[in-house]
Amino acid sequence: MTGTTVKDEGQVRPMATMPPRVPLLSMKQITKSFNAVEALVGVDFEVHAHEVVALVGDNGAGKSTLAKIVSGVLTPDSGIVEIDGEPVSITSPSAAHALGVATVFQDLALCDNLDVTANLFLGRELTRGGSGLKDGEMEQTTKRILQDLNSPIPSVKTELRALSAGQRQSVAIARTLIGNPRIVVLDEPTAALSVAQTAEVLTHIERLRELGLGVILISHNMVDVRAVSDRIEVLRHGRNNGSFDAGTASYESILAAITGATKYTQGGDRRYG
Amino acid sequence: MAGSQSSLREANRSAVVETVKRHGGLTQVELVGATGLSPATVSTIVKQLVSDGVVEVRTTIRTGRRAQLVTLAHRVGLAVGVHVGQRHIRVAIADFTHEVLAERVLPMPVDHPVDTSLDRTALLVVDLLERLGLAMQDVVGIGIGLPAPVDDATGMISVRGVMRGWDEVHVGHVLSKRLALPVYVDNDANLGALAESTRGASREYRDSVYVRASYGTGAGIIINHQLHRGFAGTAGEIGHVQVDPQGDICRCGSRGCLDTVVGARAIVEPLRATHGNLTLRDVVQRAREGDPGCAQVIADAGAEIGAVVSGVAMTVNPQCVVVGGELAETGEILLRPMREALRRRVLLNQIAPLEVIPAELGNAAEVAGAIALVMQHADVDLDPPVTAQERADA
Repeated sequence: MTGTTVKDEGQVRPMATMPPRVPLLSMKQITKSFNAVEALVGVDFEVHAHEVVALVGDNGAGKSTLAKIVSGVLTPDSGIVEIDGEPVSITSPSAAHALGVATVFQDLALCDNLDVTANLFLGRELTRGGSGLKDGEMEQTTKRILQDLNSPIPSVKTELRALSAGQRQSVAIARTLIGNPRIVVLDEPTAALSVAQTAEVLTHIERLRELGLGVILISHNMVDVRAVSDRIEVLRHGRNNGSFDAGTASYESILAAITGATKYTQGGDRRYG
Repeated sequence: MAGSQSSLREANRSAVVETVKRHGGLTQVELVGATGLSPATVSTIVKQLVSDGVVEVRTTIRTGRRAQLVTLAHRVGLAVGVHVGQRHIRVAIADFTHEVLAERVLPMPVDHPVDTSLDRTALLVVDLLERLGLAMQDVVGIGIGLPAPVDDATGMISVRGVMRGWDEVHVGHVLSKRLALPVYVDNDANLGALAESTRGASREYRDSVYVRASYGTGAGIIINHQLHRGFAGTAGEIGHVQVDPQGDICRCGSRGCLDTVVGARAIVEPLRATHGNLTLRDVVQRAREGDPGCAQVIADAGAEIGAVVSGVAMTVNPQCVVVGGELAETGEILLRPMREALRRRVLLNQIAPLEVIPAELGNAAEVAGAIALVMQHADVDLDPPVTAQERADA
């Protein structure tokens, strides 16, 4: 297989019969360099509503760089980003939030000394016209979101320091749902979690999809990735190196694309619609 | 005479314990109904069992009245139920009252490999026990349901190719070595049948069939309150009954099996042109939300399954057919065409129309059955010294 151009059984084929669907997020020819380091070179990437797209690749393949561009932490050197078919420029995390993009980074960015509700609304507290907080309403919303996610957190008044790693990940994911986002970016959500906690987080991801959101999942764990995603996009040295239907692609063919055993033909024939 | 009196007492005692074990927990009034013993006898036996520490009694409310709930004493331990599905692993830990103390569902990939799956199962069990603050020694056994026929005698999958890569692996041995516990392996539809017939929709019936309509289709057959597995565990494998002689080749190697017509692939493929890439769960969800295309595919599957189940029903003559599995979450969308296909068979309906009803335990039926399987195998010492003596005699 080495060095050959492979159109594997799992590769996503063009679907002439599919109705044209405007992707929620479309990124075309994204390039980003840090001095001499080419982090991303002409990367194409799409996410539809009600879809989980996994972004996989070796360390330094450009996964996190791409995620940071989506969430407004980095801006691309060149390339087009479209949301709902409209060109946008995501210049900051707050711009991303305004466009409906929510992100959970690896370090979660939660406050240990605050309770679950306060963490969900951190920086976005509901206020009574400047005089105090709408505590009751925030608690109700928190309860509803945790219920939507089937989250195992017993009380919304628990301080974060009292929660397990898996429960903290739950809070971080719940936090993204404040402000009704349409795209959720999850960077290594199951790293360093026990299997029971992984089960909870993967169930949350399935719920986000059922709620109609587009989910970008970055992970090293091929079992987790294949369990919950619809499509798997492989990055290698900052370039696209394969797009796989998670339902049919074999573990071996994805691994071959990650390691570079198979090369991917760039072309316009592999996308939906 | 004294000998026969005491042996009668022993028989009644074990009848009460067996009944409590089967149902998990039931009131003294229900015990009278279930065992056929007189209220006074049940009351006396329960008192003795309480003083022997075999059962516990606590006050509860049944239909608005105070009642004495009889359960097995907790000292007899915990049971772990596992269901390995095509796209998930579900693990539940229950005590002997069948009360689930903890449960987790772990999504899994298509064709998940056996080593990863068993590793994750073992870790999930350990993880959940830790969370409950319980030790491995509190667990009496693990029941595991697989979406494939399992040979009762060996615990091996008896038909090759149904689960890719699982054929050569002795699931029971692997897990039992890893967790140092007895492991009982069975087909998932059989476990669903076991659970529904003891604690679910068909508990009132002597003969019933449980149909599991999921990524693949299977059935469990209950005859005279007993699970009928067959010689090699393939009884009720309706997913591999031929329905289309010109059809596709199935995983099992035959042509045109029911699974090639109503399995996951057959459900999502016809929708690809109009609905895009859907998963089986998407189709179920959209059918429930009223999408006519998704409902049509599931209704057609219901009719196909019903036609095959009518053959089983003709052979077994059950009082009811219980339907579970993911497709059954659409309710009457699946059940009505199934029922119609079954009622078209005159013989099945001459005395009373064959009932087709949804599973009461829903998607927890398989793990509940796995837990019930453990309890069936577990030794409950009725009267420790005597039982030990009897064992020595035997």
